[in-house]
Amino acid sequence: MKTNNYLIVVTNEDLLELKVKNISFLFPVTYYSVGFLKTFKLEEIQTPHAYLYINRILDKKAIQNLKEDLKKIPSCVEGICFTDLGVVGIVKELNLQIKLIYMQNHNTTNALSINAYLEYLDSVLISTDITEKEMKTILDVATKPLIIPYFSLVEVMYSRRALLSNYNENFGYSKRQEEILHEGISNQDFLAIENAYGTILYAKKFIDYRNIEHENIMYRYINPLGLTKDAIESVLNGEDFSSISDTGFLYKKTYYRLKEEE
Amino acid sequence: MNKVELLAPAGDLEKLKIAYLYGADAVYCAGKKFGLRANANNFTLEELKEAVEYAHRLNKKLYVTINIIFHEKELEGLEEYLKELGQIGVDAIIASDILVMKKIKELNLKLELHVSTQASILNREAALFYKDLGATRLVLAREASLEDIQDIKENTGLELECFIHGAMCTSFSGRCVLSNYCTNRDANRGGCAQICRWVFNIEDKKDVFSMTPKDLNLIEYIVDMVNVGVNSFKVEGRMRGIYYIATVILVYRRIVDKIGTNTLSRGEIQYYLDILNRCANRDSTPQFIKEIPTKEEQYFLGRQELSNQDFLGLVLDYDEENKFVTLEQRNYFKIGDIVEFFGPNIETFSYEVTKIYGEDGQEIEIANHPKMVVKLPIDAKLSKYDMMRIKVFDKQDYL
Repeated sequence: MKTNNYLIVVTNEDLLELKVKNISFLFPVTYYSVGFLKTFKLEEIQTPHAYLYINRILDKKAIQNLKEDLKKIPSCVEGICFTDLGVVGIVKELNLQIKLIYMQNHNTTNALSINAYLEYLDSVLISTDITEKEMKTILDVATKPLIIPYFSLVEVMYSRRALLSNYNENFGYSKRQEEILHEGISNQDFLAIENAYGTILYAKKFIDYRNIEHENIMYRYINPLGLTKDAIESVLNGEDFSSISDTGFLYKKTYYRLKEEE
Repeated sequence: MNKVELLAPAGDLEKLKIAYLYGADAVYCAGKKFGLRANANNFTLEELKEAVEYAHRLNKKLYVTINIIFHEKELEGLEEYLKELGQIGVDAIIASDILVMKKIKELNLKLELHVSTQASILNREAALFYKDLGATRLVLAREASLEDIQDIKENTGLELECFIHGAMCTSFSGRCVLSNYCTNRDANRGGCAQICRWVFNIEDKKDVFSMTPKDLNLIEYIVDMVNVGVNSFKVEGRMRGIYYIATVILVYRRIVDKIGTNTLSRGEIQYYLDILNRCANRDSTPQFIKEIPTKEEQYFLGRQELSNQDFLGLVLDYDEENKFVTLEQRNYFKIGDIVEFFGPNIETFSYEVTKIYGEDGQEIEIANHPKMVVKLPIDAKLSKYDMMRIKVFDKQDYL
C-alpha cells in the first residue's frame, strides 16, 4: 500500500501549525539532541503521534539520565528516532510500548544490514549515501516498512567537539552557534550548528528525493532546518525547489579506491 | 595487574613483523577487501595466512578489519571471505556493519567478534546490544572518558579495547561523510579524503575555519586505563611507516611492562612522551579521556604536519667478528653526527658517526642516497631491524 505519511523534524514551533494530512512530528529533545537550535523538553511535547528525536551519542551520564527521563515519557509519544543503539535496551527494560526507529543515516546502506536491524527495531531511515537503485533494492526486500529521506538537510558530520566555539575563541570572535562553512576546492557549503553536546555539519543543499515511490515506506522524512512553514507546504505540494536542493547521491555513485576514479 | 594487550597496526607484512618484533602482542590489518584503508597496500589471503602463522608461532594474535559499511555491491563474497578467514585461523574480526556480526554468528565461525570504533560506543546499553550480537570485545569510541570506560567494563563483562595513540577523526568515527560530498570518495568504505583537515571560509570572517584535531596520546593515562579494566591498548596507523610503528610500539611496550613491575617514573613518562611527539608529524594530546577537548586540542590553519627525517637507517646485519653494522639508509647523515640506536632487545644508546663505508668498502663522508647500503664501525652488538635515528633526547636528563 502506498503511503504519504511524513515525519517532519520540528525545527521551529510554527511547523506545528502545518495543515497537511498524515504528518507526524519529530521533536529534537533537549539534552539528547544535537544539530538543532530549537529543542523541546519532554514535558513540552503534547502533539498527538509525536516522535522523540534522540540523536546524541550517549555517554554514561546521558544514558543514565535517559533511563530516568523515559519513565516520564508523555503519552502522546508514538516512538523514538535515535542513533545510539543503547536506546534499544532502555526502552525494552522499561517495557515502553513505542516504536523504535534507527536513524543513523550512514549505517543503513544495504538491505541485509537493514533487515538485521529490523530484527530489533520497528523501522530504520534509509541512508542518503546510496543511489536510487540501491534504495529501491532495499525497499524491495526490507522486512518492515522503512523511512525514506524526502526533502531534507543531510547531516554529514557529527563531532563531539565545540568546533564553532573553539574557532571563535581562538580568533576572538563573538560566540555563535551557527555558521555557513564554505569549502573552496569542491565549492561546497555546509551549515554548522553547535550545542553543548557537539557540532553537526549539514550539507547546505537539501536533498530532494520526492520522486521516490514504493509500497514499503512507513514515513517520508523531512529535516526542514531553515525552511518556513509556508515553504514546507510548497515542498509537500510538489513545487520546484531546485535552487536550494539537489539529488545528493541518488544518481552519483561514490568511490573508495583511487583507481576506481581514474 | 591483568595482562594488557598492546595492539599495533600493520599495512603490510613488513610492518606486521616489525610490530611484533618491537613488542606488539597483537596486530590488526585488513585484507584487500572490506577494510577502511582501501588505499593502503593491505594483505592478500595468502599474506594473511602467512601473517597468522607468523603471529601464532610467536604466540601472538592477528585481527582482521572488515569495518566498511556495506553497500549492495560489496556484499558479494563476504560469506566466503569470512569462512576463509576462519579457516586460516585469524583470531578475530573487527567489524562495524551489523551484517558482518550476524554472519559470524550464523556461520558459526571460529572467529571472535570485535566491534569497531566506527560503532561509536560510549555507554553500557549500546555495549550490551553488541554483546547480544556475539561481540566479545568492543573498540570504544575515541570520545570515551575514563568514567564511560569504567561503567561499560563493570556492567558488561566484555573485553574493552581503547585507542591510546595516533590520528583522530574530527567527528565520531563513522559519523562523517564530508569526503563523499567534497570528493565523491566514500569515507565509510575506506575512501576518506580527510576533508576535516582542509580549511573552510566563513563569509564575514577573515580567518579561515579549521577543525583539524591534534593526535591522540594517552601515555599519561595508561595506569588509569589499566585500573578501570581496559584489556587492549590500540595504536592507530595502518598507513604509517616502519619507523613510526617501531618507535611507538617500543615506547608503549616499555611503559606497559614498567607499569606491570611498578617501576615507571614520572621522568620516564616525560622522556617517552618527547620521543612519541618527535616521531609523529603532529602534536598530540590526551583528547577526550578527562574532558571535552578545547581549542588547545586542534589546529586552526589546516594541516600542520611536519616531515620527520629522524629515521636514519635500518639495520640489515651485524658482523660480530669485525664489529661493523650494515645499514640501509633512510635519511641523510654524515660523519660527526650524533645518533642513537634503538631496538626491541637493546637499551637505546648514543653513537657518534666517525666513519662511513659504502657497499664497495670505500670510505665516504655522507650517506645521502635513499636506501643506500652503508657500514659503520660499532662495538655494541646490533640485530637485524634495529634502527638508527637522530639523537634528540637523552634519557639520563629525565631521570
